[in-house]
Amino acid sequence: MRRIGSVIIPLFTVVLILLLDRKPSGSLPALGRLLDPVNGWAANATTEGDDLELSLKELKQAVTVWFEERMVPHIHAENASDLYFAQGYLHARFRLWQMEFQTHAAAGRLGEIIGEKWVVDERTKQRKNAILEFDRGQRRKGMIYAAENSLKEMEADARTKQMLDAYTAGVNYYISSLSFRDYPLEYKLMGYAPEPWTNLKCALLLKTMADDLTGYTEDFPLTLLREQLSQAEFEFLFPQRLSESTPVIPEGTRFDVHSLSVPDAADDTVWSQLSQSSLAVRHFSERPDAIGSNSWAISGTHTVCGAPILCNDPHLGLNLPSLWFEMQLQSPEMNVYGVSLPGAPGVIIGFNDSISWGFTNNYRDVKDFYEIEATDRNFYRLDSVLKPFDKRVEIIKIKGKSDYVDTVLYTIHGPICYDTSFPDPLRTGKMFALQWMAHRGTNELLAVQLLNKARDYVSFTGAIMHFQCPAQNMVYADRAGNIAMWGQGQFINKWKDQGRYVMKGNTSATLWGADIPMMENPHVLNPPQGYLASANQIITDSTYPYWYNGYFYDFRAWRINEILKENLPKDVAANMQMQNDVVSVLARHSVSKLAQLASFEDSTILPGTWNHALDAKSNAATNFQLFWAMFYDRLWKETYKNAIAPSPERTMQLLNLDSTANPYYAQMKRAAQEVREVFLDSMGKLKNSGQEWYKVKGTQLTHLARLDAFSYKNLEIGGWGNTINAVKKTHGPSWRMIVEMGKDSIVAWGVYPGGQSGNPGSKHYSTFVDHWVEGQYYRLLFLPNQNNQDNSSIRYVWNLKP
Amino acid sequence: MRLIIAIILIALLSFAAEYFFSWWSLAVICFGVAIFLRLCFGSAFLAGFLGIFLLWFIVGALRDSANDHVLSSRMAQLFGLSGAIWFLLVASLVGGIVGGFAGWSGAIAGRYLFVNRS
Repeated sequence: MRRIGSVIIPLFTVVLILLLDRKPSGSLPALGRLLDPVNGWAANATTEGDDLELSLKELKQAVTVWFEERMVPHIHAENASDLYFAQGYLHARFRLWQMEFQTHAAAGRLGEIIGEKWVVDERTKQRKNAILEFDRGQRRKGMIYAAENSLKEMEADARTKQMLDAYTAGVNYYISSLSFRDYPLEYKLMGYAPEPWTNLKCALLLKTMADDLTGYTEDFPLTLLREQLSQAEFEFLFPQRLSESTPVIPEGTRFDVHSLSVPDAADDTVWSQLSQSSLAVRHFSERPDAIGSNSWAISGTHTVCGAPILCNDPHLGLNLPSLWFEMQLQSPEMNVYGVSLPGAPGVIIGFNDSISWGFTNNYRDVKDFYEIEATDRNFYRLDSVLKPFDKRVEIIKIKGKSDYVDTVLYTIHGPICYDTSFPDPLRTGKMFALQWMAHRGTNELLAVQLLNKARDYVSFTGAIMHFQCPAQNMVYADRAGNIAMWGQGQFINKWKDQGRYVMKGNTSATLWGADIPMMENPHVLNPPQGYLASANQIITDSTYPYWYNGYFYDFRAWRINEILKENLPKDVAANMQMQNDVVSVLARHSVSKLAQLASFEDSTILPGTWNHALDAKSNAATNFQLFWAMFYDRLWKETYKNAIAPSPERTMQLLNLDSTANPYYAQMKRAAQEVREVFLDSMGKLKNSGQEWYKVKGTQLTHLARLDAFSYKNLEIGGWGNTINAVKKTHGPSWRMIVEMGKDSIVAWGVYPGGQSGNPGSKHYSTFVDHWVEGQYYRLLFLPNQNNQDNSSIRYVWNLKP
Repeated sequence: MRLIIAIILIALLSFAAEYFFSWWSLAVICFGVAIFLRLCFGSAFLAGFLGIFLLWFIVGALRDSANDHVLSSRMAQLFGLSGAIWFLLVASLVGGIVGGFAGWSGAIAGRYLFVNRS
């Protein structure tokens, strides 16, 4: 007995240690490594907030970093290389795991760190590995191909080469200083280690942004609808230009120069035919109607202080760690403040000592699909010629499994995104290639660098000529008193309807044509109306000479232009209020119509007296939002279940037509009547769980690895994707900024939903969340460009010495 | 008395060892101390268990209080525990069990060594 015990006990000990030392498959971490407080979890229970002396050998000269209480770093460097080195070092120090995770995701490398995740596919009812499907999708879209193309451009320009090299060196300096104990907590939880940073990863991050902002497409559903509907009905329900739109570039702005003439439209034989495909499936991504943004600028002639005011709030995924990292960068060439993207050098949105700028997404369509006629896996047809495919072998690593190899074929129209082995949303079995502006080698980083240094409108326009994709509406205000707006990006001189539907790839008639010179992009400087606004609406009125289509939104633009026109916010406080406005234009124009159609006896259900504000605690907001969602779904689902529905904007317009002029009146009435009971039933259920809008909406800040313990749920905040304060469940204003560009001083305010530290163990992980929820702002500390500061807001100083 | 010395020795040496080596170096310490102090099975287990339990609890608690319980609360939530203190206790328990069995193993090895010698 004793003999057996003397074997079993040591054996058990060894097995126990082995089990605790490695990560089991599934979501459990390696418990021994994690629970050990010396090297594991408690090493991440940090106490930031100290003065530090750091010796960073690769620096050329000394660098000083001042921190305020909020842990916003203000970097002062004596040369550009040191500046970006320090920025890379700080990004890594505060956000390393996020930087790597986002770029792993961009490159389709999640399987390497997560392994597999088996789920049941909604359509096919078959089990599939969702992680592998995601990784393959990234490769099929050509994400790495695109990043490599841009990297070539960025490294070919000495200015951005130096910027990237220094930044990457800074990140790697930090990574190489780490032992297991210092790893961000997520590495300990997920059981892997950081790898060296590369310039390519910066490019991948920028391509992720391009994908997020230009990735949405309606080519497939619109192709189906065009085939199924009469031309008149199609144009009536899906107008390319919504009547009553208020374009980004104000109506009446003159478009002087256009050096290219619009090509003649191709004949009707150039479209891919999809109608034979199964009509029972529907798998188009829902319109992400909160990946948008607001910006406006108000001329100094209208403001109390006499200085222009610029406001911007880009709406993106609400995650923790936040997408943004706030900082100030100083070198002999620049003094700039704003938000940066951990993983890329420079300040993306912000202001410097001369100008301020902001971005909203410009939804012009730059992503087109082509049906490819292949003879086999080697050749495809173009006109009468057989052309060979280029092949790119994508090796996808899967943790604990053998590699998955996907050979992606490349054509003159771009990579084959869909084929039988990676089916398209309609499962046609056809081959489709993806032609996408994001595939091009472009150097947005140069635009960022030049923007950060820009001194006036001329240098601003010079800078943004390098910003090709993702196209952005760029709002501008400077201390000289100018305001401006550019619908900026690289666009193709398309013929009418080119790329709106899936095209045949076997004819050169559908090839993308010439680039529109970027100086000819729609823009306006100091318009007579004294203000400018963009909120993802259509870019121009119909006088713009070039043809374009896109995925535009109008509700926020309507509301913003209404306020600017009728009740212009003259000071910072009024602009703060405006950024937090939750009035729903949709509700205003449809609530009483819906009440009427549904013939509710109880007038408090959709009350006519309601102010149409989607306030956090409003019950009326919940009623309206729920009823609208049910009504909208019922109204169009039957008819357009195979495709997209007419936009909510268009639906609202139809709802407001006189019943005799509205061919859909009977259908609308029926839909409202049909959802009435379900609606009343769910209202009854809500009585118990809480009817307030924020409870029903459930806004959350989700940790990037979807760990609930590191996420914030059910935030008490109002709004929706169609209100200025565009807070949906998982998307919303990712950075609210207001800058007053005074001649004597710059006064700026900002807030983002997160905190400077990416470490869930830091008190700075979520410091700004409450302020953001409440619509409060921080006064931004813009330090003068000098190497000594005596500002009382400075709490900590880090001296980085070579 | 020997037990108390063993506990203190294990805690201090494991703390030092963990700084330079992986977390499981604590098992080597427990094993070694049990041999060195010629502990019997029961004392060896107890010394290993308490030495590591206390070490992990104290290191965890000190860092946690400096951190205002920010991380321990989140870790507790991650493991479905009702409060930060429970996380600290459970974590320390895991370390304690490893330490205990490593000590016990040490005592077994010690018995063989010394029995063979005498």
